[in-house]
Amino acid sequence: MAASTVQPDPRTVMPMRENSTNSANESEGSYRHLYVVVEHDDSKPIPVTLEMLGEARRLMDIFNARYSSNEKVVAVVLGINIKKLCEELVYYGADAVICVENPNLRYPINLIDTKVISQVARDKVCVSKVSPEYREEFKKPRYMFFSADNIGRHLSATVLAELESGLASDINKLVIEDLEIKHEHKTKGQLVKYEKTLEMYRPDFSGFLWTTILCLDNRNPVIQREYHPQACSIIPGVFAPLQRDPARTGIIVDFSPELDQADKAVKVLNRQVTKSPVDFDSHKAIISFGRGIKDSPEDNMKLILELANELNAEIGVSLPISKKPYSVREPVSSLYMNSDRVIGTSGRKVAPAVYVAIGVSGAMQHIAGMKESGFVIAINADENSPIKDECDIFIRGRMEEVLPILIEELKKQKQVMEVHK
Amino acid sequence: MEIAELMASPLNLAVIVKLEPDFSEGSVSYNSDGTLNRAETKSILGPHSAIASAAAFYAKVKYGAVISVATMGPPIADTALQQAQLVSDADSLHLYSDRIFSGADTLATAEVLKTGIKKMEVTGKMDIVFSGHRASDGETGQTGPQTAWKLGHTFLGNVISYDVDIEKRILTAKRLITLQGTPDVIEEIEAPLPVFITVDPSYRSVFNTVSLRLASVKYQKEAEQRAQNYKNYLKTFNAQQLEVDPKFVGLPGSPTIVYKVERIPKARASRSAEVIHGSDQQQLRRVAEKINEIVGRVVNP
Repeated sequence: MAASTVQPDPRTVMPMRENSTNSANESEGSYRHLYVVVEHDDSKPIPVTLEMLGEARRLMDIFNARYSSNEKVVAVVLGINIKKLCEELVYYGADAVICVENPNLRYPINLIDTKVISQVARDKVCVSKVSPEYREEFKKPRYMFFSADNIGRHLSATVLAELESGLASDINKLVIEDLEIKHEHKTKGQLVKYEKTLEMYRPDFSGFLWTTILCLDNRNPVIQREYHPQACSIIPGVFAPLQRDPARTGIIVDFSPELDQADKAVKVLNRQVTKSPVDFDSHKAIISFGRGIKDSPEDNMKLILELANELNAEIGVSLPISKKPYSVREPVSSLYMNSDRVIGTSGRKVAPAVYVAIGVSGAMQHIAGMKESGFVIAINADENSPIKDECDIFIRGRMEEVLPILIEELKKQKQVMEVHK
Repeated sequence: MEIAELMASPLNLAVIVKLEPDFSEGSVSYNSDGTLNRAETKSILGPHSAIASAAAFYAKVKYGAVISVATMGPPIADTALQQAQLVSDADSLHLYSDRIFSGADTLATAEVLKTGIKKMEVTGKMDIVFSGHRASDGETGQTGPQTAWKLGHTFLGNVISYDVDIEKRILTAKRLITLQGTPDVIEEIEAPLPVFITVDPSYRSVFNTVSLRLASVKYQKEAEQRAQNYKNYLKTFNAQQLEVDPKFVGLPGSPTIVYKVERIPKARASRSAEVIHGSDQQQLRRVAEKINEIVGRVVNP
């Protein structure tokens, strides 16, 4: 799978910046605008929605200035009672909002939402209201953003399967560039210029590598195919939203979807708020651990649990730990080495008063999940670990040696405290 | 598997699985820069694929479902099928293996899997297809839903439990929905078959009656025997046998390419750390005091 490849495939990619380009072969005449698929909670936008709009606005401002065009940031909203939300989206950067209000859209249902969003993406009438000048040539959006969460991750996949185009997931950096590409299949080995290409940067699971994914038309004469929109899902908490500005203006377009009777048989029966057994929000301290426990996982886990118990702290882990890399007895293994406890872009974002990172190297993905903590203490044997730049106190040493002393000190001080009560 | 057997089954299930790097100690190998050393790392049935197999096994125990497991990959991916058979007591194993499939992105992978599952459908649509939440190496989580869409199955993600009304042919499922900035929600949803399920990592099968527990033990024993002779259950298909259009699979069928891979540049230090030596008890006492002060265990000697 392209999105999971770690090494670049030497057959496929050769970026070049020379002027020996083949004919530009511009087939981009049919694709316009950046569509942002909005997620909201009972008509309140969730944070990633505003973050996507912020990044979309910044990208399209640069785009329009550079290419002397007038392409829009178009938000797409599905739901009931969403008129007010549509206005808000304009204040946060949308030029246009396509508002799909329908009683069947009260809760996200993948089947129905996929059909509706695909209809919107192909609709010329909406576009003629958003930008009459592009009405004739419009086929599909040029770019599309979804959020990389439980709803958007699946929705992006099914919408792009329907629109038959490419998708990159979990993106945390975006750039629009004109690229010259030489590719065995895409260009039949010829150097071809691809204008207005969205470079989608995706951190890999280790958190140390960045893979740039492109969605490119096949310009190979043998297998010509157009692949638009260029789409991605965006990691929540990465991009900055714009300041809300009620002076900003935009157009709101109503859209009536066509729903099959059969699709309505998929029904939400009940929804209940649940509390995760892992509670990162109400504890003042969080203790997280990473692959540094590897020398004696069983004993180190004991020490970590003892420290957490002493501080009434919740326990978090780095992503690799959720894959249960070490054999530790049950139920400790199931309780602590699981994805519910992952802190970082593939898990939760936390901000406790004290964050203690034990044997965590500090991959970018992890840092993104803990950087807003109050006071950060790292325990690590390797002073070159990136975590050193993200903590207030760096304790250099093996956890096997440091933790017993630290726990002993905490206990002593508690006794002193109790004597004085 | 005979057609008569399929006709008799109240429920026909498919599970799509993936061979993935084994991240467990002793199997995984990291390069000195913290990235995965793929050449040195062993491969196994992905952990989420194993959970999907367990979810299918639940329907075998409860409804007597017939199960087919499928994967796309190199010939050695048959070990993933064997491990999935051990978990699910699968009745047949399908390996889609051809050089032209390699380099596929999620859309081109979904095309192969869809074609394979269609080939299994001798008596009408496959009732339920299961896949894992996401692969532990690629982690896109896209292949499942894209296969679902191409098959025309209703897609349900993050399923934590499910049951089927065989008479009415309706599935009810509970799904876990976690969104940034909102409380977690457990949603109960119903959908007519056919359905495609991706299983949440927190999925657990519950066999809550004596007869279900007995049936589960019986099928587990059968699974162990079958997995020992898994090759008897294995069918391998190349592109031609699968009758896929080469334009829609592998590199030619992939809209996306990997343009470049680079090390993520080190961010500017956001804090400046005081470095303490780990064996310095005096210093660690100060750290303990600092922690106590912040979390409110105020010490007043």
